[in-house]
Amino acid sequence: MMDFFTSSTFQTVLSALNSGFLKTLQLFFITLLGALPLGLIISFGSMSRFLPLRWVTRTFVWIIRGTPLVLQIIALFYVPGMKDWFNWPSGESGRMIAVCVAFIINYACYFSEIYRGGIQGVPKGQQEAGQVLGMTKLQIFRHITLLQMIKRIVPPMSNEVITLVKDTSLARVIALQEVIWMGESFMKGNSGIAGLVWPLFFTAVYYLIFSGVVTVLLGKLEKKMEFFQ
Amino acid sequence: MKRIASLLLVLAMMLALAACGNTTNNNGGSANNGGAGNNVSDNAGGEGGDTAESDLQYVKDKGTLVVGITYFAPMDYKAEGSEEWIGFDADMAKAFAESLGVSVEFQEITWDYKVEELNSKAIDCVWNGMTLSDDVMAAMGTSTPYCTNYQTLVYAADKAADFEGLTSLEGLNIAVESGSAGEDAAEALGATTVPVQAQANALMEVSAGTSDAAVIDVLMAAEMTGEGTSYDDLVYSLNLNDTQGLESEEYGVGFRQGSDLVDAFNTFWAEKVADGTVLETATTYGLQDAVILD
Repeated sequence: MMDFFTSSTFQTVLSALNSGFLKTLQLFFITLLGALPLGLIISFGSMSRFLPLRWVTRTFVWIIRGTPLVLQIIALFYVPGMKDWFNWPSGESGRMIAVCVAFIINYACYFSEIYRGGIQGVPKGQQEAGQVLGMTKLQIFRHITLLQMIKRIVPPMSNEVITLVKDTSLARVIALQEVIWMGESFMKGNSGIAGLVWPLFFTAVYYLIFSGVVTVLLGKLEKKMEFFQ
Repeated sequence: MKRIASLLLVLAMMLALAACGNTTNNNGGSANNGGAGNNVSDNAGGEGGDTAESDLQYVKDKGTLVVGITYFAPMDYKAEGSEEWIGFDADMAKAFAESLGVSVEFQEITWDYKVEELNSKAIDCVWNGMTLSDDVMAAMGTSTPYCTNYQTLVYAADKAADFEGLTSLEGLNIAVESGSAGEDAAEALGATTVPVQAQANALMEVSAGTSDAAVIDVLMAAEMTGEGTSYDDLVYSLNLNDTQGLESEEYGVGFRQGSDLVDAFNTFWAEKVADGTVLETATTYGLQDAVILD
């Protein structure tokens, strides 16, 4: 058994999976960085009192939530070039950028609905109390609504974030070489090794460890929010 | 009421947009075909006028030839511990790029999307032991064939007796790569096909017992089964092209439809056959019997 873990095959597979997992992590964090703020903007749009804006936003959210992410990735990557609108940068970086854009838009739409639920869940009386104290709309949002909203949205957000960990594997449809792609590559051949199935199943270890870490961190965040009770 | 009305309006708008999409699609298609026609006649006339449409010029201006590949020994692969793409196709692609005066870039792609990769200009050619099937030739501008191949049947070694000397696959569940030449062969022989994403997945089907056998390229079967692989319990035999009474299959390079890179490639290839480079490179990778030299 120990022989196996020190064998050069295991080392080669491990370093390939590591490089794939780095791409997975990159995609994960860029998506969160982009989608968390964008989702808030979209949620304002879908709560706007300006009717056309509200309808446009909600239709957009409907389209994005109503179609598979994998389809959005394929369309976003291939259609611009086929229509001669623009070309994504050549090589791996272009694929990464396209996939990040698709993920950010998709996840922002899901986040926006969670934000909306969190904001609308704060009792109206609290905003009215703010108005009585002479606070501006922005002050009410920052000091009264926002923090209570954050507390409310942590559990549903944790759900989405853990789904995101695993959804990153969809990126391989346009040949982004994330960890599942790397695992699969040893079936057909990679670095002179061919016909191995176990690297594919071994990628589960990466996902389990990472989602474990994310779960613990989000649990801590939830604990921190308890003083709002 | 107001809400229902606006919802209907939104739906109508979306349908209208979708319809627009379709028409532009058609226009795009015919424009491309027109371009293809122009290119062909330009090339036939020797001097071309319409350089804006020239794919060769596009690649030269860009300075890189992006070659779409999948990992496929001995065509495009990496030696253990090396990051450099080598193989018969990879080496010749490097030489072709050099002859055009551009650098070469290898891009791994998902095989199902090779046509979309080409048309969206994410890659400039597919050069990966690609069988010149009717579908491929309809969707791409293809080179003259440069190598021969045949489809073979892969099955579990302990069931070898059931498969040897078979002339029909009727009543068997055969795993094949979706859209591959193997799929056509299995269907022609009366098999019930199980289309999967890649030839590697087809082998996983056989190994797991979820399919009776798989039909894949013989070059790949040699690489992926036997000693030192996860499939040392699988064996392959039968030349299915013989069984069907068909000619052997041929490999070619795929470019965008109507691209003038096809002619550039064919000229380049004829030169390299004449000066012996093709045979020499093929011999390096054990393909001296498969490569086409006339």
